[in-house]
Amino acid sequence: MVQRQNRVGVLLAVLSVVAFLGALWMVFGYAPREATMGDVQRIFYFHVASAWVGFFGFFVTFVTSIVYLVREERHWDIVAASSAEIGLAFITMTLLTGMLWARPVWGVYWTWEPRLTISAVQWLLYVAYVMLRGSVASPEREARFAAVYGIMAFVTVPLSWFAIRWWRTIHPQVVSGEGMAMTPRMVRTLLTSIGVFTLVYVTLLRQRIRLALAQDALTALQLAQES
Amino acid sequence: MMLEISDLAKSFGPRVALAGVNLIVEEGEFVILLGPNGAGKTTLLRTVATLTRPTSGMVRIAGSDPLKVGLTVRQQIGYLSHRTLLYNDLSAEQNLLFYARMYGLADPDARIAELLERVDLADRRDDLVRNYSRGMQQRLAVVRTMLHRPRLLLLDEPYTGLDPLAADRLTELLTELSEEGCTLLLATHHMGDLAAVNKRAVILSRGRVIHDDVIADVAGFPALYRDLVLRHTSDGGATTRAEPPRPLPVAASGPSRPRGADSLPGFLRQVLAVVAKDLTAELRTREILSAMFVFAFLAMLIFSFALDLRGAVARAAAPGVLWTTIAFAGTLGLSRSMAREQETGGMDGLRLSPADRTVILFGKALGNMTMMLALEAVLVPLSAILFNVPLFAPGVLAILLGGTLGYALVGTLLAAIAVNTRAREVMLPILLLPLVMPLLIAAVQATRGLLEGLTWTELGGWINLLVVYDLLIAAAALLTFEYVVES
Repeated sequence: MVQRQNRVGVLLAVLSVVAFLGALWMVFGYAPREATMGDVQRIFYFHVASAWVGFFGFFVTFVTSIVYLVREERHWDIVAASSAEIGLAFITMTLLTGMLWARPVWGVYWTWEPRLTISAVQWLLYVAYVMLRGSVASPEREARFAAVYGIMAFVTVPLSWFAIRWWRTIHPQVVSGEGMAMTPRMVRTLLTSIGVFTLVYVTLLRQRIRLALAQDALTALQLAQES
Repeated sequence: MMLEISDLAKSFGPRVALAGVNLIVEEGEFVILLGPNGAGKTTLLRTVATLTRPTSGMVRIAGSDPLKVGLTVRQQIGYLSHRTLLYNDLSAEQNLLFYARMYGLADPDARIAELLERVDLADRRDDLVRNYSRGMQQRLAVVRTMLHRPRLLLLDEPYTGLDPLAADRLTELLTELSEEGCTLLLATHHMGDLAAVNKRAVILSRGRVIHDDVIADVAGFPALYRDLVLRHTSDGGATTRAEPPRPLPVAASGPSRPRGADSLPGFLRQVLAVVAKDLTAELRTREILSAMFVFAFLAMLIFSFALDLRGAVARAAAPGVLWTTIAFAGTLGLSRSMAREQETGGMDGLRLSPADRTVILFGKALGNMTMMLALEAVLVPLSAILFNVPLFAPGVLAILLGGTLGYALVGTLLAAIAVNTRAREVMLPILLLPLVMPLLIAAVQATRGLLEGLTWTELGGWINLLVVYDLLIAAAALLTFEYVVES
């Protein structure tokens, strides 16, 4: 059983690496050079894909948190925790790629552009989620508190999005990311990138879940030995 | 049958606390629960008291399932915990009055006077519990446990901190209750404290019942106890078949127990009792309000230095400064208010009472909101003076009310989480501030819009956002709070 699970893990990892190399080729070799921004625009394919996976990861945390509260089964909590951690890693990448993109294009590393701002809010929400998980002694309480926070965090994201968008509309934006025309090759590259990042997410999620299960088994063994 | 427990198991993560407990206790029985540290006595009592949900198995109290009819069952249980479940910042009488309201007692004053007299605390009824000795606190905690005339008393180490005289009085009181027909389940390490002869002893070890019999030979029982526990632990935790509970003579029925109230207390009365309790404690100590006021004033001063708030700049920045100050100072109040519940287990006291969990949420949130509004009553005129802005418009006050409501609701929920974390002093703002981002943006923009002369129609988007946020947070908090206060 374990060996078969390992084989699936290895297969997913190999697939992810191959697919990622393919996506890299599309980003640098297949997609055309953007007329206004030049090569720096290519970071867009990583930026959007990581933002998507980050958001998707938080959505999975939201759904599995609800299921955990209803069914109180440990594995749902493990999925919620794993997905939030991976989502946080991808949102961190979104923020960093956003800043790297902003500097050459707009001349600043940071602008209070709505999408960057909402990514920053999401980043803070899920950093708080991870900190909360690390700060509760009882595993049951940790799971319940984290599930409640995972639900609250996700339901306030759309409201934050509206608030930040309206706020930036009232105070005119100095810079704007709107209006970039996308050719069919660009669209295909973007979609491939999103698909590949999702595959990487699935691979990482599976490994993270296995790690948590192994940790549980180890703790149970230690407790059995102690008693 | 008063209590029926079958195959009860409870695990905390991978740690097993109860591993299949079976126990039947008839009405009027006096059962002594014994066992070494970590045997599962406290977990068993907490599970029966409805404070801890079992992992599996069944508990029936007077034939009812506490998981299904929790309010009715809790009305019949009295539980004395390791902690007193009393509020240090209230007097003995105020503590008991609060619990009397939560249980809906018909004539609380007479009942409180009678019980305080019985434990020799009548003279000290107006003293703060904080100023009581450990033994006095324990006596008051025993009174709290029996205030509502429970049919089943669960006592976890009730002799802790009592001097020999007080211990004798407690034994007399418990014997009296037992003779009146009250069912008692008492966990203890000290068999000498009890007139143990002819009482039923249940010994737990490693989450299982390893002995269940009447104590016939009091002098020889400690040796038997040590032998049983040592034999069980040296077996490497192997399951020792629990002896089936022997049929015991049901204790002679005493006079029928008077019930404090015919119907369960109303939701609103319980919410108001929680609010009154919080505000009374605050009026006694003034800890929260003074901390919030001083912090808010300091924050405003720092903002005015940092942003050079004068003239047009001050008017533009005033709404942001006001709301930021309220948000930051608010976290101090929320933290302290929940820490008061935590100090001596007040949250367990609330959860034991026959009140829906939402009573705790709304009661605590309303108390927190009242304190934040009191802060705002000072901050608004102060900001108006410092920044020369007309903040007294009715519209601004309505926005303050709406914003404070949402903030207090979500803040109360998260404070209940944060207070149970290791980093409780710093965790609340980290959890809370990202969640209230839309509320703060909407409140600041709406306040600024009003100051700039915009109409309510022009501000519609922000007001709607504020209302939607409040409704959404109230719904989410209502649905999830139960999971936060569960242990």
